[in-house]
Amino acid sequence: MKKVININFQGQVIAIEETAYELLKQYIESLKKYFSREEGGEEIVNDIENRIAELFGNRLKLGINIITDEDVQSIISSIGRPEDFDADYQDFDYAYGAKSSQQKDSAYEQPKTESIESEEQRSLYRNESDRIIAGVCSGLAHYFKIDPVWMRIIFVILFSVLFWVYLILWVVLKPKALETNVTKRLYRNPNDRFLGGVCGGIAAYFKIDTWIPRLLFAAPLFLNLMGMISIPVFPWNRFLDNWDFNWNINMSVVVVYAVLWVIIPRANTVKQKLEMMGEEEYIKSIRETVSDNVANVKSKTDESDNYTKSYVATGIADNSEKVTMDALPPEPPRNIPPKSSVNAATGSGNSGCLSALGILFKIIFFAFAGIFAIAMTGMLIAFLVAGTKFVPLKSLFIEYGYENSMLWLSVILLFAIPIVSIIVWIVRRSMKAKSRPVIGIVSIILWVIGIFSATMLGFKIAEKFNVESSTENVQALTSFTGNKLYVDMADYSSDYYSFSRNFGPGSDLDNFPYYTINEDSLLFSNIKLQIVQSQDSLYHVRTISSSSGKDLKIAKQNTEQFTYPLQQQDSLLLLPEFFSAPISQGFRVQGMIVEIAVPTGKKIEIDERLDDYDNFISNSSVRRKLKKSRKTEALDWDYGEEYILENGDLNKTVVLTDSI
Amino acid sequence: MNIENTQSQMRKGVLEYCILAIIRRNEAYPGDIIDEMKNAGLQLLEGTLYPLLNRLKNAEILNYRWVESTSGPPRKYFTLTEKGDKFYELLESTWVELSTGVDEVIKGNYKKEENEPNNSEQ
Repeated sequence: MKKVININFQGQVIAIEETAYELLKQYIESLKKYFSREEGGEEIVNDIENRIAELFGNRLKLGINIITDEDVQSIISSIGRPEDFDADYQDFDYAYGAKSSQQKDSAYEQPKTESIESEEQRSLYRNESDRIIAGVCSGLAHYFKIDPVWMRIIFVILFSVLFWVYLILWVVLKPKALETNVTKRLYRNPNDRFLGGVCGGIAAYFKIDTWIPRLLFAAPLFLNLMGMISIPVFPWNRFLDNWDFNWNINMSVVVVYAVLWVIIPRANTVKQKLEMMGEEEYIKSIRETVSDNVANVKSKTDESDNYTKSYVATGIADNSEKVTMDALPPEPPRNIPPKSSVNAATGSGNSGCLSALGILFKIIFFAFAGIFAIAMTGMLIAFLVAGTKFVPLKSLFIEYGYENSMLWLSVILLFAIPIVSIIVWIVRRSMKAKSRPVIGIVSIILWVIGIFSATMLGFKIAEKFNVESSTENVQALTSFTGNKLYVDMADYSSDYYSFSRNFGPGSDLDNFPYYTINEDSLLFSNIKLQIVQSQDSLYHVRTISSSSGKDLKIAKQNTEQFTYPLQQQDSLLLLPEFFSAPISQGFRVQGMIVEIAVPTGKKIEIDERLDDYDNFISNSSVRRKLKKSRKTEALDWDYGEEYILENGDLNKTVVLTDSI
Repeated sequence: MNIENTQSQMRKGVLEYCILAIIRRNEAYPGDIIDEMKNAGLQLLEGTLYPLLNRLKNAEILNYRWVESTSGPPRKYFTLTEKGDKFYELLESTWVELSTGVDEVIKGNYKKEENEPNNSEQ
């Protein structure tokens, strides 16, 4: 079944199916556009409209009461679409001699005027007729001739950066009501919806069944719900582990749905439904229902004039925009067979609470966006400040000269080019300068060079960590009276410069080295202290220095350059706070293992101040060395406790009384 | 070469002449012109007729008047102006010239084939 509307077309009241009306309207729009370059173009279109009205009249005389899609189609094909008579039309310019000189000129100029016209059309505006906030996305989409939804998705994803672009464009651009210039668009489908019609719209857009997107949205929620209920029943759920993670997925599904709900417009008018489903699909879906109810419709058509309230527009051509769903007469109730689900009507019973939910989503969305935007401003400033904090770190990875200039080249090209191009583009657009693709091409090329250079640099840096090496150094402590070794830390007395981010948890970056006061050495605290059983009656200290490097020679050289002076004062062993390396090494994951060997029957105590010496040294060469050389395992111990080595193990000498 | 292109080029050249001929015979509105052309077996896309009439009118070759119609909106009935008459006559003479010339050329082709051996004998 179809909705029938009455229109006043060239002074005649004509009953026309709504889809047919849309076809006709589009056709006349196309003619208008086409003849707009012609002198007296309006008159031509008016003549054609007259002709169409006459043909309608002829059909009505034959006893056909209602103009259908087929009628409109046949009329269109006999008059021809602009693309059909394009060639003829152009040639008439040449053929027609009466105004030859002028006409010829205009014929030659035609491509030119056309391009100016399209230039004008391609000016950037904020789209007033299709907007969520200010119509910026929609205007941009119009400019690029894409579906506004994609532009909105891009803006949502890259919110932090594009938020500023959005604000600028909001201020700079003039608002204008723009006609949509894409034939296929993503809408929410009001006829096929569970919540907001998002899935229905996606299904219609991609021409798939609605259950597919619905399943995609519902599956994570459903699986998690299953998981929560079924933990005791299905032990395999433990493999899904981590509820936080799953809840994150749940939340993201909800957020994605909510965002889509907000940014995808609802298909309200027939035109929008046509754009949503594609013309053929839509007509097919209608035809299916029509053929179902063909008898019904036929019996009713005679009465159509009686129950269709006549909607009188001042003329299809002038007033076509005003004919929206709201203005259309209500569906005649007798014409709705019980099973007709696909029709142009949008009203349905439970829309009230759903639209309230939709408004709620929008409010939440905007509230979040506002808060987020403020947070982003703070973040941006914080990043700028923090960024300068990280500048000293650069020298740890990058050598001066070639690599340094490569770094700056990459930074400038990668970050400055997009920002500058966006600004240039906005300025040029707002000044309505002619578009010059050269600018775009050049900046893209430069940006690609930036990516290339950054990648090269990345490889260069990664190369410096190619090989790992280590150097071993064993030192026997001089014998002393007493049988207990006390190990303490020798403080680094001078000042040093440490990196800190100044924000976030754990502000100090422990893994990175510190600079000495005159910036000639790097100070590392990446030390691991461990205790083993001595093979003789003496205490020994073994240090294993480790480092990465571009090749084995460099890595080895690095480890040999470490300085870590041990101080022994009788039974007191002082370990330096840091080991140091020349600043020229840079950061190559330098680390050190300090291993104290305790003879059997002797005691040891490690001061609590050394409890930072518990780093994990992942150097493969170190691991090999430890594996090869160790006859006894590293022993368990704690800081600030006295231990005695008995039977190859460390035992506490003092057992706490309250533990008994 | 595209055959359709050539065909439409051929048709186009005479279209204007035909339209003027129809209007010259009787005052006519676009519907009449289309019907007559169709009856004569000449294909005409209506969409091309209207801009053409419009231009002829702008060039003062055609004139029109509104006539009320029983079956729809009022119609534009076109007539030739004086200038249009002259224009038509020029076209007519060109057409006669062209059509006889084309005929001759086509027939001449066959003649030539017959005559050629005779010519060479003489």
